[in-house]
Order: sequence, then C-alpha cells, then structure tokens
Amino acid sequence: MILNLPKKILNSIVLIALLMLTGMPCLQAQTNVTLSGRVTDQQGGQPIPGVSVKVKGGTNGVSTDKDGRFSLNAQQGSVLVISSIGYINKEVAGGENMAIILSSLDKDLQEVTVVGVSVRKADLTGAVSGITEKTIKELPATNINQAIQGRISGVLVQNTNPRPGSSGSIKVRGNNSIRFGANPIYVVDGLVIDDGAFNSINPDDIASIDVLKDASATAIYGSRGANGVILVTTKKGKNGQGSITYNAWAGIQSFTKNVPYLNAQQIAELRIDAYANKFMDDNPTGNRQTYINTLLGTASPIFSQNELQVYRAGDSYNWLDEITQRGIQQNHTATFSKGSENGSVYVSFNYTDQKGLLKTSNYKRYGGQVNLEQKIKPWLKLGSNTNFSRTNESYIDGGVFNIAANANPLLPISGDIPYLSWKGIQNTDLYNPIRSLNIDGKGNLNRLLTTNYLAVTPIAGLTIRSGISLDVRNQDYYNYIPKSLGQSVRNATSGSATQKKENWFNWQWDNSVSYDKSIGKHNFSGLVSFGLTQNNYNYNQIDAYGFATDDFSYKYLGGAYLKDRTQLGSDFVTNSLISYIARGNYNYDGKYFATLTARYDGSSKFGNGNKWGIFPSLALAWDISKEEFFKSVNLDMLKLRAGYGIAGNQNIPNFAYNSLYRPVFSNGSVSYVSDGRLGNPDLVWEKQKQLNLGLDVGLLKNRLIINADYFVIHNDDLLMERTLSTTTGFRNTIANVGSLLNKGAELNVTARIIEKQDLQWSVSLNISSYKNKITKLYGSVDAIYNYGGFTGVEIQRTGNLFLNESLNSIYTYKFEKIAQSEDIERIKNINYGGHTIKPGDIIPVDVNGDNKVDDLDRIVVGKTDPKLYGGFSTNVNYKGLSLNAVFNYNVGGKGINSLYDGLMNGSGEYAGHIDQLDRWTPQNTNTNIPRAYIGGSRYSVSETDYSVQSTSFLRMTALTLGYNFDQALLSKAKMTTFRLYLTGSNLFTLTKYKGYDPEGGDSYPTSKMFVLGLNVGF
Amino acid sequence: MSALILISPSCKKFITEDPQTALTEENVFKSLDNIEPLVLGLYTSWRNTKKDRGGFIFTLGTDEAQQGAYQVRTDERQASLDRYSAFLTASNTALAEQWNSRWPVISAAAKVIYAIGLSQDADANRKNRILGEASFIRAALNFEMSQYWGEIPLIDQSKFAEYGTKRQPLNLVYSSIVADLENAAKFLPLTQSDKRRATSGAALALLGKVYLYAPVASGQRDFTKARDTFKKLIDAGTYSLVSNYADLWNPAKPNTTESIFEFQFNNVYPDNNQTQWQMGSRSLAEIDQYAFFGGYDLMVPTKYCYGKTAEGGIWEDGDVRKSESIRYDFTYKGKVPVLNPAFGGDELDPHVKKYEDPRTEGTLSFWLSGKNIFYLRYADILLCYAETLNETGATAQAVDLVNSTVRLRAWNGNLPADKKWNSAWSQQQFRDNMLDERMRELCFEGWRRMDLIRSGKLVDLVKARNKWARETGSIQAFHNRYPIPLQEIKQNDDISETDQNPGYLNQ
Repeated sequence: MILNLPKKILNSIVLIALLMLTGMPCLQAQTNVTLSGRVTDQQGGQPIPGVSVKVKGGTNGVSTDKDGRFSLNAQQGSVLVISSIGYINKEVAGGENMAIILSSLDKDLQEVTVVGVSVRKADLTGAVSGITEKTIKELPATNINQAIQGRISGVLVQNTNPRPGSSGSIKVRGNNSIRFGANPIYVVDGLVIDDGAFNSINPDDIASIDVLKDASATAIYGSRGANGVILVTTKKGKNGQGSITYNAWAGIQSFTKNVPYLNAQQIAELRIDAYANKFMDDNPTGNRQTYINTLLGTASPIFSQNELQVYRAGDSYNWLDEITQRGIQQNHTATFSKGSENGSVYVSFNYTDQKGLLKTSNYKRYGGQVNLEQKIKPWLKLGSNTNFSRTNESYIDGGVFNIAANANPLLPISGDIPYLSWKGIQNTDLYNPIRSLNIDGKGNLNRLLTTNYLAVTPIAGLTIRSGISLDVRNQDYYNYIPKSLGQSVRNATSGSATQKKENWFNWQWDNSVSYDKSIGKHNFSGLVSFGLTQNNYNYNQIDAYGFATDDFSYKYLGGAYLKDRTQLGSDFVTNSLISYIARGNYNYDGKYFATLTARYDGSSKFGNGNKWGIFPSLALAWDISKEEFFKSVNLDMLKLRAGYGIAGNQNIPNFAYNSLYRPVFSNGSVSYVSDGRLGNPDLVWEKQKQLNLGLDVGLLKNRLIINADYFVIHNDDLLMERTLSTTTGFRNTIANVGSLLNKGAELNVTARIIEKQDLQWSVSLNISSYKNKITKLYGSVDAIYNYGGFTGVEIQRTGNLFLNESLNSIYTYKFEKIAQSEDIERIKNINYGGHTIKPGDIIPVDVNGDNKVDDLDRIVVGKTDPKLYGGFSTNVNYKGLSLNAVFNYNVGGKGINSLYDGLMNGSGEYAGHIDQLDRWTPQNTNTNIPRAYIGGSRYSVSETDYSVQSTSFLRMTALTLGYNFDQALLSKAKMTTFRLYLTGSNLFTLTKYKGYDPEGGDSYPTSKMFVLGLNVGF
Repeated sequence: MSALILISPSCKKFITEDPQTALTEENVFKSLDNIEPLVLGLYTSWRNTKKDRGGFIFTLGTDEAQQGAYQVRTDERQASLDRYSAFLTASNTALAEQWNSRWPVISAAAKVIYAIGLSQDADANRKNRILGEASFIRAALNFEMSQYWGEIPLIDQSKFAEYGTKRQPLNLVYSSIVADLENAAKFLPLTQSDKRRATSGAALALLGKVYLYAPVASGQRDFTKARDTFKKLIDAGTYSLVSNYADLWNPAKPNTTESIFEFQFNNVYPDNNQTQWQMGSRSLAEIDQYAFFGGYDLMVPTKYCYGKTAEGGIWEDGDVRKSESIRYDFTYKGKVPVLNPAFGGDELDPHVKKYEDPRTEGTLSFWLSGKNIFYLRYADILLCYAETLNETGATAQAVDLVNSTVRLRAWNGNLPADKKWNSAWSQQQFRDNMLDERMRELCFEGWRRMDLIRSGKLVDLVKARNKWARETGSIQAFHNRYPIPLQEIKQNDDISETDQNPGYLNQ
C-alpha cells in the first residue's frame, strides 16, 4: 500500500491540476463585470479595512469596508492594484469573490539575519525552502524540528527518540560526511549553533524558518555549511497598534501502539515445545510426551513451581502497565509587541510542561524572548534579540521500559524482588522496573541566546554593522540509585550518586560593510565581513558510592563512604574560528541574477599550515517569465536556477592533528597512556562540491507553485578515522581519505485550489530523495567492518562501510527459507561453520556457492536510507472554520527490527511475539516462522536478514479542526482574534514494520496526542 | 574595517588552541619526568593484553585447554582457534586483535629507547633504568609475537629507514631480542619496590628462555647460553619456591619469593582482569553472579589435562597441584547445580581453577576477579634450567634438580620414591616427561603453545588431546604459526599478500 505512494501522489497532482482548470473559467470576453472580493492579512488571516483597490491604468477605485470586502465595476480582464499602508502592493487579475491576501511590509518577513548580516530573503540564491509562522501554527509543536518535520523538502526529521523533551534527528539532503557531523547548523537571528538538534527556542516565537540546502546558499557559512543550515528568524514587533496574544494548548498522550506479546500460557507452551524439540534432536528415539510430562512435574528443570502455578491458573502478568501513566502536555505563550517607524519591541513568555508516558518522566521549559530594535539617529540603529530558557527534566532510568515490556508474563507483579526472573532464576541484568522507578534522575538546562548589533548608515545604500552574539549554556545532570535496588546490590555500591555539570560559552563577533546601488536596471549589492568565533566547553563529573541513607539522594556527595570507588572526570576545550566573507549580488531588471560568494576560514581544529580554507560559490538565475517573448505564455513565474559551490566541514575530534597522551590512574599510580590515535598534521577541511539545478514555476496567477531542485554533491577529502597498521604504534588516525557521492531531487508543490470568499482550500506537497554511495575509502581498502558482539569479533549488521554502497547499508546473511525435511538432503554438504540446520530452522543463502557459509556470504541486504520521503498537507477554510491535515511519509527504507529479533528467539525463556504462534511444527510446515528451540547451534533470527523490515510509512502527523470567531463579535469584546482548535497528532501510521515505530525505533513506542488549543489576540 | 586591520596580526594566535588536558607526543618525549610515567603506561598496556578473553586466545587450541562447548558454537572465528578449521585465516579477527594490541606497546617502547638516546638529561642512572625497562618490554613482546607469527617487523626508530615495517628474518629478530634483554639485565635493578616494574632477574630469566625457545632456524637457540643464564640467576639466590603450592593461587599472597615478574591486578575496574568470567562455569553463573567460580567457559581443561594417569591423563596420585589447578567439584552453598539442557554439556566438567578469586565471593561479580597473573615464575625457570642441563648432556643432574625442587613441592615436601624421576633416564625420556611436567606445573599460565611449538609436537598432541581439534582433524604443520592479519597486509605497505605465512589464505 505504501509502496504505491509515489503513483498516488502523481495521481493527486493531476487531480489538483484538473480541479483548477475546471474551477477557474478563463477570463476572455471584453465586457463590463462586477469585480468583488475580500482582502486579508497573510499573517493572521484577519480582514484589512481601508485598502485601496484600483483598476490598473484606469481611474476607478474603491476602499475595502471593515470586513475587508470590496466590489466595483470594471472591464472583464482588468487588473486590480491593491495597496495599503504597511503592506506590499499587489496586482491581481480581477474576478468575482476574490480572496486577496496581502503580505506585511514588515521587515521580519522580508529579511533574515545570516552571520552578522541582515539580508533580503530574495538575495538568498540557491536552494532555500522555508516555512513561516502561519505553517508553524498548524500543529502543536514544542521545538523547531517538530515544527518542520515533513514540511520542507530535502529535510529529513526523524523522531528517533520519542521521550519527552527530545527533539529527534535531522538531516539536510541525506548524508554528506562519512563519520563526522551529519547535523545541520542552526542560525538563530545570526547566531550559529552547531549542537545538532536543540530545543530551547519556542516555536511560537519564530517568524520564519528557512533551510539553506545547496552550497551557493550555505556558502556564507563556509566551513560549517556542508550539512545544511537552518535559519531561524524570531518575531519582531509590528508597525501599528500594539498587540497582545495568548496561545495555549493542552493534550493527552498515549502510545500509538504496543507490540503484540505472547501471554503467560503461550510462553509456557513455547518453552515446552522448545525443550521438547531439543530433546528429540538429541534423542531421536526418545518419547516426547514422557519428556514433556517431566517438564511439567514437580522437579521440572525448565519451570519454577511458581511459574507452573501461574500457568495452570491461566494468569498472565503485564509488567509494562506498572510503569506507564497517562501523558499530559501543556504549552502556554503570551506575547506583547508593538512597532513604529523608529523601532519595535517583541516580548514573549512561554511555559511548556510534558508529563511523559512512563512514570516519573517529565519535561518542563520556561522561556522568554525579548526582541528590540530602535533607531537612535536617522543613521544609527541598534537591536537585540535575546532568548532565555530554563529546562527541568526528570528522567526515568534508560533500561526500565525495555525490561518491563519484555518481562516474564509468568512472573507475578511484585515490587519486592530486586531482579526479574525466568524459570525462577533471578537475572541480575533484569532490574525490577518497579523498583527502578525510585532512581532519582534530574536534569536542568539554562540557556541564553543573545544577538546584539549596531548598524550605521552614513550614506544611502551603505550599511556598516557590528554585532556580538552569545550562546551561554549551563547544563546539570543528576542521578541517584538507592541502596536497595538491584543496580546497587549487584555492584556492591550501597547507593550511587552522579553529578555532571557542563558549561558552554560560545561567542561570535561579526563586522560587516554592505552596499546597495541601482543604476538604471542594474542592481548591485555587495558585502564584506569579518568575524571571530570562539567556543568554550568544560564539564566536571563526580560518581560517588556508598551512602548511609537514601534520603539525601544525589545531593550530599560528602557523605559517600566508598571513597576509593569515587570517580572524577573533567575537561576543558576551546575551539576558535576566524572568517572573512565577501559577496556580490547583481541582477538586471529582475531577470538575470548572479551571486558570487567567497568565505575564507581559519580554524583551530587543524594543524599549522592547514588551518585556512577557502569556500567559493556562484549562483545564477534567470526569470524567463519576465522576458518579453514570454509575456504571451500563461505563466506567472518561470525561474531557472543553477548554483555551484564548495562548502566545508570541520566537525572532527579536537586536536586530531596531535598524538595525545593522558595520565591514567591505574594500580596505585599515574601513567601516561596514548589514546591510540596518531596525530595527523596534514588534516584539512572536508570539502563538499555541490551542484544544484533548480526550477521555480508559478501557474494560474501563482495559485500553483512548483519548485524543483536536483543536486549532485561530491564530498571529498572526507575526514575518517582510518585504522592503521599497528606497527606504526597507533591504532588509528583521522585522515582526509573518503569520498561520498550524494545525489537527489526535491519537489515542492503548493496549490491554492479554491479561493472563494468563504471557502479556501490549499494543498501542499513535498517529495525528496537522496542516494549516497561511498566512492572511496582509503588505500586499497574496499570494506571497513564494524566488529562487536559477544566475542567482540563478529561483524555487525550496521556500521560497516563498503565501496560503492550506501553509507547506511545493512550487511548480513540472507535468509533463504525455513528448512523443510526435503531440504536437508540438499544442504547436507554445505559447511555452516558449526551451525546445525534441522527442519523448522533457518537456512541462510550460500551466496558464492562454495558450499561454505562464511563471511564471504554476507551481503548488503538493504539500506536504511528511504528512497523517497516528505510530507503533504491540506488546509480547508470555510468561513471561520478550518480543517487542516498534515502527513508525512517515508518510502523504500529498510531497518533491522532488533526488538523483533529478540521476540522471535523461539525459546520461551524470553518475551515472545505472537507471530510465534504460527511457528513451524511438523504439522504446520507452510510457514516462515522458525520452530521453537532452545540452545543448540541453529542460526538465530538475528544472524540473517530475517527481521530486516520495510520502514516505509505514511503517518497522519496532525489533524486540526479550528474555529475563528467572527470578527464583528470579537471587536465588541475588544479582541482581534479568538480561535479554538482541536488537534489529533500521530492519529495513524500505516506501515508493515513490526516494531514500535518505523521511525522511532524499537526502544520506546511513539505517542499520539489529543490537543485542545486556544489563540487569543487583543 | 578598522577592526579587520587591528585583528589580523593576532589571527594566527587566535586560531591556535593547544590541548588543555592532554600532552602531545612532543611534550611526552621531551623530559624524563614525562617518559617515566609513559613507561609505566606501557607496563599497563602490556598487562592488559593478558586480561579477559584476549589473555587466553593463544592457550586455546593447545593440548591442555580448549573452548567450552557453548562458546565453541557461538562464533566460528573463535571456534577455529580450536578447530583449526577453514575459518582460521588471515581475516580471523580474534587473532588480529592480539596482533593489534601489542604493536602500539612495542612501538612506544621503541620511541622511549630512541628518546633516551637523544636525551640531554644529566641523570644517567635514571636514563639507564628507563632504558632497561623499555628494552625489557620491547623484548618480551617481540619474543611473544615472533613465537606465534615467526618473522615480524622490528620497530627501531634509529633504523627506521632501513627496517621500515616489513617482516625481518628470524635471526635479526632474535638477536634484537637478545640485545634488548642484555641491556635490560645490565641496567635494571635487582629488586623493585614497585612490583609492576621489571628487575634484572626478570631480564635474565627471559633471556634464558629466549635462548631455549628461539626457533632453530633463527640460529639463536643455544642451550649452553640458556643454561649459563639460568644458572647465573639461580646462583644469585634472589628467588625461591614457596613451600606450599596453594599459596601461589592465594590472592592474599601476591608477589611471593617465587615470582620473578607478575602482572598486577586487583578487584577494582580497570585493574580487574575478568579472568574468572572467562574460566568459570556457566552453570554457576546461572545460579549466582557472585559465585566466585562462576563464569562463561571460554576455556576449559582438556581431558588429558584434568584426567588421572590411569585415565590417560597427566595426574599422578598425591600431586597437590591437581586440585589447586583444576576445579572438579561444583557444589555451591551445599547444592550441586543441575546442568541446563540448553547449555553446551561440559559446564560441570572440570574447569580451570588457577584464576578463581575468592575475594569476590558473595560481594562482587566474578567479572571483577583480579588476581595477579604470573609471567615469569621461578618454578618455570627451574624446569627450563633442568631442560638445558638435559640438552647439554647432564640428564642425571637435571632429574635431580626436578626431583628436589618442583616435584618435591608437588608432594608437599615428601616425594614418594615411586614418584621420583629416574636419574638413569635417556635424554629423550627426560624430554617427554618434562613436557608433561610443564603442563602439571604451569598449565593455563600461557606457555603451553610455545612449548608445543619448540618441541615440534603441536600438531600431534593437539590433534590427540584437544576435543575440537580431534573432531575436525584438520590441524597441520603450518598451524605452528598464526596468519598475519588481513588488515595488516592491506594497511602496511611493507607487507604484501605474498608475505603471508605459508598455508594461510589471505581472506
């Protein structure tokens, strides 16, 4: 069903196009008609009174009434000029019941701040996509990544960690580095933040989010732009009357689904079957039933008497229920803003509270934003954007969910036992989850983001600007494991406390001179800039053991008495960066565009002689629709774009150019030990050469807009940890060795299908793809394996690198089939390396046919990269009522379902999946489920690609029904807006994946939420 | 713009950040104050090769020990160390890990030796001592590597242009080892208060062993030199056997008079060694992680190693070493464990006892086991000395030596006449008995594979006594060496596919 999606999408595009053609009769005859419509604000959707509506080239004109409506007579085919103070003028073809939307002239919608420079969005050439606050409002989000998931082409946001307060992973245009730094940087009002996913900004404070995807767009970030740039612009006070808004929502959460587990009786029967099968394998002439009787007897070797009691009584215990609760989230934001010719102010306060689905897990954020801008003199302006947030988190111990979900259903619930047991044998790895709830885990984060600038305009067109930005972050982590818990008993710690305190202090000083000049139809703008950045990090951590009482939790480390077990850790790291930027923009008559950018960066991450790198880019665009010869064609926009540039990446471990030795305390004294890495003074920047071709098309009065981009990225000199011949004295070094080719395409379609006075319907869709291939490793090496497992030398299924394969490939034996008795003869001469195969067991494919199944028979069985991903949404407004649906999807990826691996082990000594009810037995041979078995040396499910499953999905991310109260009614209450809405998030996910979630992985289920929300404006 | 001009001169300084919490290599080798802790670090890294699973890889596939039945079916690469199957090839990562963990130590020792040579420090005594220690470490590891892999690269900074990292002829390898040990014997002190450090006695003991163990092809095997070296050590009277064999395995009695060099461990991570985790019985682990003789059966004694002579094993009546070396009884807290039918089947067969650490009982997981591990033990030197006497024609003297020392102690100072070795034995009779005696005295202490290789008996005895090797029957003469790891061949420009040890595939 999901695999057919692309075809469906194509079908819907055709459908939309047809709808538009039929719904919009062409305007041809030259007769007088009545033109009417309603003018609304793009921002809030409110009507704008007093707007001037004139016929172009004519004299007649009217103004809109208090509801924003107008009506006038004019020749059919007339063009109307719509204008109002504070808004951008608009020319539209006249019609009936027109819905005209005016964009605010406010600068915050037109300008974004890149590093220390404020630029017009139109000047961001290259592949840029974005959303504005209007879209952000459509779903209740508590962080930036949630707000853009599925909304912007080329950006893959995955909720890999559905715990409260986490923000998921984000990738722009797939992978562009093999080992280091896959995260884009975030630029908040000009401040560069590169700690991956961050969540201290309240989405309610965001005016727009723009994602810079190609090298010509990211060139201005030079050494740090290779993985994409997410530009976040916060709101500013708007011209005119002051406004006060209050937005609030509250929601109730529950798990989207749970895995169907075997109950106690089914587990017991599986175990009996497993042991009986083992017994019959070992004793082919034995009596199965007699053996089973002993298994169920008073001296049962495989059941404890308590388990047998539960089994016979028909009970079954669900441990998960003991640690889950109903999740409740709420979010409140109040904003105050006002603007004038000379300045603006925007202040907001935010409170978010997420009570998790697991007991004791909780996330709270208190935040505020203050944005000020003021003209001091006609030629001097200063501004400041400052965000403060405080986050309090309460963690549940990481292992609790897994242990509870996979607990023995034959084991009665009890908070008194330190460990859970199977067969009556306590397993010291299985800490009783009910007791683990007493682990006291807390985390606090204070973060201050502030950007401040002074801009001088000595002559028209020339701006000199200097700005200082700070990112100050203090993070604490605390944990206490009480004395009586299994964790403490097992490790003889008598209570263990951890305190970790981390500090970041990053500053950035940017200075720029920019100059704009137009001569006739030639428009020039130029910019030179110089900046310094320094990032400082330090941490300290104390682990202390042995406490007289649990009462003080982690708070009184002085009381720890197992002094010799105390562990201390700390570090101090500083990185710095110098950058010079030069950029020139030129356009001729809005038809031909060229942007040339160069950035020259010096970084402390590299050794002497290799610190500096230059990152140039060129972007060209041609708006064909503006050409005379094109005027006759019924297109509003046809813009061709081409960009080529080089971006860089410096996200490598610190001081990789030096071989390092650290003191280690061992056996009573200090010794110096190398970390095994050979310093490489020749390290240089990773270089990303990127070509982007783009096309923007506007049709049908721009009611259908299509943006398409195609990119080819050659990532060379990739920084990789390469293993060395240990005769060099070191195990590895970081070197510029790998190459990765990454290609892809993106399509963005927005259609305003119906634009009637009372009814509007719009649809938008984005489709993205990327495909990466490793084109070079180092030396003659064509594969780098990731070893691990029980013996430490088994090749893992992921994390291996192969030449000409995707970075994200899955490598294992291929599952051929479940052995039937007739197969045994065929495979009897194959050496399975000590494995045995009997009917009902897994047969792996002897790929090279050499009658020996060894490492050479492992193959790439799939990759985790999706073939296509993206999202689509639809928005219907009827009078005050609105219905909005947002979907996101992912097609063609594969994933290892390690949860399923475990649940299909067939032993009955671990939790099981209900698929095992259809397991192979001599009577039920027509099945793909292996037989029950314990011990022995058959292939386990996890040794083959048996549980490699499709991770394709279609998810309804949000469905929102909203109601805007009537303007007339509101004005009586002195209100400007009053909107109520109801949202269901993650209402359904269509997927064949058998774990918790194809995106979120197997450690924790995704949640769905029902939200009731309110927006009020005064 | 003015800022631009002002800042530019200090640009270079602004983007130069030195590590604040690590020393660069340059710094380390600049002063003796830094080199000394580095050498201590090398002892630790060398010690760590004896820890955990890796510490027993070379003992698997011998005639005294083999993998437990559950382990042998977990991973075929590891299993091939006993099975000598088609999975014992250049890509065998279990072996590659042993190769890779040793070279960085050898290389750093070589750097120390080089740096001492260049050092202008006035303290000659200190320089000599450090030189002695680094030479000892390099020699010990080169010796071990060469015993198992044959020709190996020689890491010598002063001859790097000539040697590179290619495999060197055996003669050169062993003469380099001898030279290092002669230096060590000259410069190291007779005793060290810090037990982690090597002494001149350790250097002499190892030098004697090198003369005895060097392959004939190296031209360095010399029984006379070996005998004289051992004699010098013995005559000095620094070491003596402890009277009670059991004391050797008592964690409360580390670093006895018998210990010439032992690796220092304790029960606190990272100085524990996990040996019991590898040696103990899974059946006990299933009952209780704090049972001090629980574990996961990586290595269990062969039947030959745990059986009595009457059963075709090595143990004679009354030999106290039998019950100190091997655990036969698994009764724990009054209960005899039941064999889990899902296990391999040998979990309650005799297990290695020498690494049991009763200090963990009831309070710590056996993962934290951390008794010291012997490297050079006086009993070993006495047996080696006896061998050199036998090889140089003094068989009767050799028999007397064994009877009056190692075997005397094995019967608690009261060796019955029928257990005494016969001074009328032929040279060959002595050799054959010595090979068994070494197993009785030194089993699981890491010398067995070398003893089998130098005596030329690896193939015959392993095929006969190791359960898994017997099952496959595929062990051959070329297995006297391990394969050069594939990654080494791919990454070391000085070693090509044709340099592989004969018999092994480069896959």
